[in-house]
Amino acid sequence: MPDVNLIIDGQAVSVPAGTNLVDAARTVEVAIPVFCYHPKLKPVGMCRMCLVEVYTARIDPATRQVVMGPDGLPQLALMMNKLQPACVTPVSEGMVVKTTTEKVKFAQRGVLEFLLTSHPLDCPVCDKGGECPLQNLTMQWGPEVSRFDYSDKVHFEKPIKLSDVIYLDRERCILCSRCVRFQDDIAGDEVLGFDNRGRSWEIISKSEPGFDSKFSGNTTDICPVGALTNADFRFRSRVWEVRSTPSICTHCSVGCNLSLDARHNSLMRVMPRENDDVNEIWLCDKGRMGMRFVESATRVTTPLVRQHGKLVAASWDEALTRIASNLSQIAAKGNGQVAGMMSDSASNEDLYAFRKLITDTFQSTSLDHRPGAVTDVAIDEAIITAGVGMGTSLLSLGKGTAVVVLAADVEEEAPLYVLRLRGIKNRGGVVHVVNSFATKLGTSASSDTRIKAGSEAAYANAFLKLVLEAQVASGFDRRVRNLDDVRNQLSKLLLDTLLEHAGVSRAQLQKVVDAYMAASNAIIVYGRTALQIGASVTQTMANAAMATGKCGKANNGLIALTTGANTFGAVSLGVRPGKDGAAANEFWARAEAGTLRGLLVVGLNPAANNPAAVEGLQTIAKHGFLAVQTMFMNETAELADVVLPQMAIAETDGTITNAERRVQRFRIAMAAPAAMHPTWQVCAQIAERATVATPASKNATAVLSNWNYAVTSDVTDEVAQNNPRYAGVTYTSLDLSINSWGRQANESVYYDGTSYTNTEGNGVQLKTVADDAGAALTVVYSPPVEFEPKGEFGLLMQTPVRAYNGGTWSIDSKLGSRQVAAHVLISSADASRWNISAGDAITVASPIGSSTLPAQIDKNIAAGHVLMPDVAGAPVHLALGAYTRVAIRRAE
Amino acid sequence: MPPITEHVVLRDLDVPNIADLDVYIQHEGYEALRNAVKEKSPQDIINVVKDAGLRGRGGAGFPAGVKWGFLPKDVYPRYLCCNADESEPGTFNNHQIIDRNPHQLIEGVALAAYAIECQKAFIYIRGEFAAGALRLEKAIADATARGFLGKNVFGTNTSIEIIVHRGAGAYICGEETALLESLEGKVGHPRLKPPFPAVAGLYGKPTIVNNVETLTNVPRIVLKGVEWYRKNGTEKSPGTKVFSLSGHVNKPGNYEVPFGVTMRELIYDYAGGMRDDKKVKIIVPGGASSAWLTEANLDVAMDYESLAAAGTMLGSGGIIILDETVSAVELAYKMDEFFKHESCGKCTPCREGTHYLVKTLHKFTHGGAVKNDINKLHDVYNQMAGNCFCLLGESAVVPIRTALRLFPEEFEAALAKSPARHAIPLTLAH
Repeated sequence: MPDVNLIIDGQAVSVPAGTNLVDAARTVEVAIPVFCYHPKLKPVGMCRMCLVEVYTARIDPATRQVVMGPDGLPQLALMMNKLQPACVTPVSEGMVVKTTTEKVKFAQRGVLEFLLTSHPLDCPVCDKGGECPLQNLTMQWGPEVSRFDYSDKVHFEKPIKLSDVIYLDRERCILCSRCVRFQDDIAGDEVLGFDNRGRSWEIISKSEPGFDSKFSGNTTDICPVGALTNADFRFRSRVWEVRSTPSICTHCSVGCNLSLDARHNSLMRVMPRENDDVNEIWLCDKGRMGMRFVESATRVTTPLVRQHGKLVAASWDEALTRIASNLSQIAAKGNGQVAGMMSDSASNEDLYAFRKLITDTFQSTSLDHRPGAVTDVAIDEAIITAGVGMGTSLLSLGKGTAVVVLAADVEEEAPLYVLRLRGIKNRGGVVHVVNSFATKLGTSASSDTRIKAGSEAAYANAFLKLVLEAQVASGFDRRVRNLDDVRNQLSKLLLDTLLEHAGVSRAQLQKVVDAYMAASNAIIVYGRTALQIGASVTQTMANAAMATGKCGKANNGLIALTTGANTFGAVSLGVRPGKDGAAANEFWARAEAGTLRGLLVVGLNPAANNPAAVEGLQTIAKHGFLAVQTMFMNETAELADVVLPQMAIAETDGTITNAERRVQRFRIAMAAPAAMHPTWQVCAQIAERATVATPASKNATAVLSNWNYAVTSDVTDEVAQNNPRYAGVTYTSLDLSINSWGRQANESVYYDGTSYTNTEGNGVQLKTVADDAGAALTVVYSPPVEFEPKGEFGLLMQTPVRAYNGGTWSIDSKLGSRQVAAHVLISSADASRWNISAGDAITVASPIGSSTLPAQIDKNIAAGHVLMPDVAGAPVHLALGAYTRVAIRRAE
Repeated sequence: MPPITEHVVLRDLDVPNIADLDVYIQHEGYEALRNAVKEKSPQDIINVVKDAGLRGRGGAGFPAGVKWGFLPKDVYPRYLCCNADESEPGTFNNHQIIDRNPHQLIEGVALAAYAIECQKAFIYIRGEFAAGALRLEKAIADATARGFLGKNVFGTNTSIEIIVHRGAGAYICGEETALLESLEGKVGHPRLKPPFPAVAGLYGKPTIVNNVETLTNVPRIVLKGVEWYRKNGTEKSPGTKVFSLSGHVNKPGNYEVPFGVTMRELIYDYAGGMRDDKKVKIIVPGGASSAWLTEANLDVAMDYESLAAAGTMLGSGGIIILDETVSAVELAYKMDEFFKHESCGKCTPCREGTHYLVKTLHKFTHGGAVKNDINKLHDVYNQMAGNCFCLLGESAVVPIRTALRLFPEEFEAALAKSPARHAIPLTLAH
């Protein structure tokens, strides 16, 4: 569509049709003041701050023709003979806009004065003071004095709690409704509303508990005054006193950009940082209010070594030497008796150094990023092959885009994806959700298919079958290998059988397949359940993407919602079992068998809720050596021979790779509470000491020189050098910034108190295999797995993710009351069958044990389906995979 | 102008008990609808209403037939909403129609629904009209039982369902988009226009909103024809209009007269003249939102064009006539207090502006006004005029602006009577 030409304050402007006048003016650095308008929200034109003079061609009412002036040009007339709100007035050809005339100034001064006369002007005690659009606009557009009495202020009880974390000061509220509209349009949690009218009009929470949304903190950002404040930051600091450090959230796989605001080495608040390719300008509440653990008094601050059966404080040198010498001795016996496990939320640098320590120094391939539970998830090779293509930007997607979300609870697993996927739908794309239980995203999706518990693989294969059939006409991607085998195998599966197994009609499936096939951009998202089931879902869906060429290019492919913030980093940098090496959930058996004697654990707590792991760890500690690096004492650390303090993300620097394989950099925001070293340094220190002590090490000098790192970026550079996938990823390339939100005129309104602008880098997205034109894409047939309840264990139990799971992040968090307590969700049918009421204690038995916990009844769950959310204290060790056969009964 | 020989709208004055379905049927009731659904196309109905020149009685005076023709083609379902949220101060003709001639309104709704091919019509009735709502519901049930409404109207394929929905007592819900919001179960706030309701109205579908009196005209127009209807009124304002007269007249009430009678005729010939033969001081000709007239305007013809030429509007047809005992300052204060009370709060100039108008006017009526307050009043209404989201805020400007224009001396006099400013206790909170 050709651009529209108009004149704003004497400057020629050319913008796409449909652009509103506020945005059009910004392109030529003309600032039109706004309160209710926000570039991320639909304009509503209610604050009336943006009134301007708009002139359009004069139309003769009789002839309906443009009246021409003596100069041969159309005569202009003031539109509707009054001022127009710029935010809801779209540009039109030949329009002339004046934003600084006396008439405009008079109106704008009036609106500002009206707002200020009911506003309490308590800036000195307001959290927003210093980054407040109302303050800023008053300075530029407001009257110097007020004509009205101070006694005319509106008075309300201040503040009131909308929820445990969000406070509302109704006196400060200027009723712009940005918060309500954010919740309705962007978050999809329609929990805010209005009450009363006129000057008594007020924002209220309609939900129970109050303001029940995982995105509530964003409303405090976009609030143009200090009406909404959050409990995490209230009265902690003046905003100009904080020093902001760019960082990345590590609570899930989204990798939201954020800013850590500290004062005197103390964390004041967490704010979102703009990155259109990741979190736009938003942050979920867990990311915003889940950082207080950093300053917890219960942190492990000094190395501990076991003496006479007790852990006592020791020097770093002593602790590191112990680890090095003990593990060296064990390693010297050969056969990979040392093993390592490290959290997949750690940085690429730490993971790389850890891998190097275990494989090079201690000569073992028993390495894992998972905690060693039976339910450990395999990250399929398929996601590395066909993950989402280079240059993908969900924000650019709308019409013509199809997203299929299979076996994922997006809001719980990676909350911010809800906003991003809803955005695609709001912009005209389709989002189809397919899951075995109801999810929040499903309620606002284009379709929400409920499949039978355990039928994900059947659904995936049925999906692939129809996709391949549909693709025949237009031909398959030439790079695809092994297609005939897959088609041949699939032809043996009867569609009707698969559909019946999944409990889905042909039409329901066809709708999703048609949308997928018709889309010019198609993305498949899968989550924990898919990953737990494994290849029969993940590879099968990847097959569909590969065969149709819907991968290996921007805005197409697959996104896996992994558990860790850096699962891709861990997997691609080798923190996973190598040849002959054991996976974490095999460590315990190896320990019992005596073939694993030394274990280094970083940032994981395998002993939590896993009796097998506890036994294994005890055996290792007893007959060998167990070293743990951790931020907090936990069940695993209690068993260790040496415990090392671990740094929090706020205290160190490095890079992490998100679910879309975007590598992003985080920096040091504050000093650690005591002398600590980042894990990569700890690994280097151990390696240095180990080479001296281990005669078995074949190439001692070479290994030593390899650990010559001065700063974190030395490790980053080595990662880039040694891993083709990371080629070119350096601090310099990560630091390139593109400010897609625009920073022209009026930034004091759009940015102040909102998201931090990104001047510190948007990160670098890694290529998938499919991004290479010459790559071979091998499709692999993965038959559907069956989860059939049978015998005494007649129900199928799933352990879904809960964002508020009571993990480390929740320590000292204001979100305490939102933590999900351990419970089991059962269907109404099963509840009446076993005579169970909500709140009753029930015993859940699986083939490997049983446990008792409270039941809740969910009428949306199908009979025979049991959900045990994976939260702190839940006996998830009863699970044997994605689905576990269980029996339930009322506890005696 | 000679009085009408036959009522078009207030037929209860010609036919006792016309509210009763049988009586209504005996007097040509539902004949127009029967003929329409059996023999005429929807376009026929639109054409006859267009040719009759029936103008919307809700205030704007827009030709109803033309409005019906604005609906986008091939977009269904379409909705019809009858605006029975009569809440303009001084206006009470809808009330009488609903109470005494409900079937003619219902037939009008059904005819309009047929004309715009709508199967579900709503009557959004002012919450306070509880008895009226019950009466309408009963009338609809009676008509449905006879097969005049509901499925297969008069045995044809046409279906017309009419739903009565009671408002919750907000003046703003008389504004058509706020009415739609309220009907959808939301807070009654006006919507941004465009899109206009004809394009995206109730539940985002094409919707026509018509006033009670407008629709009550429709059955007679369809039955009796264009010529019959145009017997009354002027060329551009054809037909009759029910004016509600209140205030200091001897016989306040609803009067159905041909468009074009003069204000003087209305007051002195119909409403029995002024109370105690006092002089007319202020005429509020079309509801609280209309600019005031004075004795000098008594010969203005009561039609859309003449009133516009006189600088005001016909509006809702609610005429408030006040004699010289009334203070213009008091009247402006009372009227703006009404608007302040009814301001929904959505836009700043209306929410805060009405508050400050009232606050400042209060000083003129209760003491404490200083000279600069007159300038303040001018400034505030000028900062509201043209700047509000919907017409409520614009309406609030009208009383104070006309009061200051017509009776500046009364404001000056109020200043003189005001105690000195320092005598007003300063309070920080109240």
